[in-house]
Amino acid sequence: MSQVALITGGGGGIGGAVARRMAAAGMTVVLTDFDHGAAEVVRGEIAAAGGRADALSVDVTQSREVKAMVADVEKRFGRIDVLANIAGGSFYTKRIEEFTWAEWKEVVDVNLKGTFLMCREVAPVMQKQKSGRILNTASNYGVTGSALRTPYSAAKAGIIAFTKTLAQELAPDGILVNTVAPGPTDTPRVMGKEPPETRKQRWSQIPMGRTGQPEDLAEAFYFLTTPESNWITGQTFHVNGGLVMP
Amino acid sequence: MRLQGKVAVVTGGAQGIGRAIALGLGREGAKVVVADLQEDKAKNVVAELQALGTEGHPAAVNVADESSVKRLANATFDRFGKVDILVNDAGVYLKSFVIGMNEELWDRTIDVNLGGNFLCSRAFVPSMRRQKSGRIISIASGIAHYGAKEFAPYAASKAAIIGFVKALAREVGADGITVNAICPGAANTAMPRTHRTEEELMQRLRGNPLGHVLEPEDFVGSILFLAGDAASYITGQAINVNCGSYMI
Repeated sequence: MSQVALITGGGGGIGGAVARRMAAAGMTVVLTDFDHGAAEVVRGEIAAAGGRADALSVDVTQSREVKAMVADVEKRFGRIDVLANIAGGSFYTKRIEEFTWAEWKEVVDVNLKGTFLMCREVAPVMQKQKSGRILNTASNYGVTGSALRTPYSAAKAGIIAFTKTLAQELAPDGILVNTVAPGPTDTPRVMGKEPPETRKQRWSQIPMGRTGQPEDLAEAFYFLTTPESNWITGQTFHVNGGLVMP
Repeated sequence: MRLQGKVAVVTGGAQGIGRAIALGLGREGAKVVVADLQEDKAKNVVAELQALGTEGHPAAVNVADESSVKRLANATFDRFGKVDILVNDAGVYLKSFVIGMNEELWDRTIDVNLGGNFLCSRAFVPSMRRQKSGRIISIASGIAHYGAKEFAPYAASKAAIIGFVKALAREVGADGITVNAICPGAANTAMPRTHRTEEELMQRLRGNPLGHVLEPEDFVGSILFLAGDAASYITGQAINVNCGSYMI
């Protein structure tokens, strides 16, 4: 029986690459995204490559939407083997005194609360199976901080600690929980708003001499679903070309 | 087979985790130089590699001795012509309280565990630079992070390996070489048996969130990941394979 992977933010650069990687490995992929059109594009790519995928629209900050979606996925597919929480974003770059409470809440909720809500609904499904892999997405900024991104940095650091805690809670059920922390990655969203000179400057600081590709991240996510990572839980995988070595 | 055509050197490859790594690399098609102080045991591992259908080469080496490491490098290039993967696993695990510790015990631990990383990496980096690719993977330890009573030099050497890995990763990244560490949790090997009863050991080994006793083979998956193309953008990291026994 094919494994089932539920991927939030599946229409984005990293989420899409993760979805394609899981599908290429034979998993049935359920992509969710706030932007249904973006998820639909990735679903189409997977289907065209001979994979199995479904695209759903969900706002991960809304508990009722999350609950209904997870129940629907369980009903239709019978199981959830992999949950990759990739929905997120920094959205704003501004000084703390300029952040409104609503903006702060928006960033923290999409990244951290969304991760919590998804885990809360999917963990019981995995507990019944006595197996599962949960992969959360942090950022190197969750370790180093990033000026003008206070809520994003805080939320990503929060995801790392949340992951460790959940890993301890779910270990007796055979469920592994880990975090992947991307560094600068060439996603359409990032590349769209970054001037070439900024990219070049950043590139020069990366020991591996290049910015990350979504596929680099996808390989780390995929590794953490395989039997080769059976004994890794509560950890943070930094995929950043050596930019940050905590 | 993910490592077909690759050449790997595994120091400390004759037993325990090193042996499991050597065989794991061989199973994926790599040719493996089994480098160890104990040549007889290295030869046994080479026989096992041959039985897996790949080639191996036994090399007697003291990783804390410059000329010995140089011979290892020469033997590797003579036999296989290149090196793609270096696994620095050779190490000693010597027990003493700090108060009253003799200097020789300190020096030997630091020289073998940390100095061996330096000498072996220095010996193989130039050829990796020339081919614009390479993987260096050092076996550190969870003890680097949480310490261990009566094993201060071991803890210091393993933490120092992580620092070394980060620095080397920055030096060689532009040449397509990644450098990472694995931090194994306490495992069912000969090492901890030097100072614990069987009962104490098994109780300790099971005492992790997953309740699993780590065996040498359990670290191979992470090594194969870091050694392969999939991890080409991961460098300077210390990967904890410890059943969740600590999380940093």
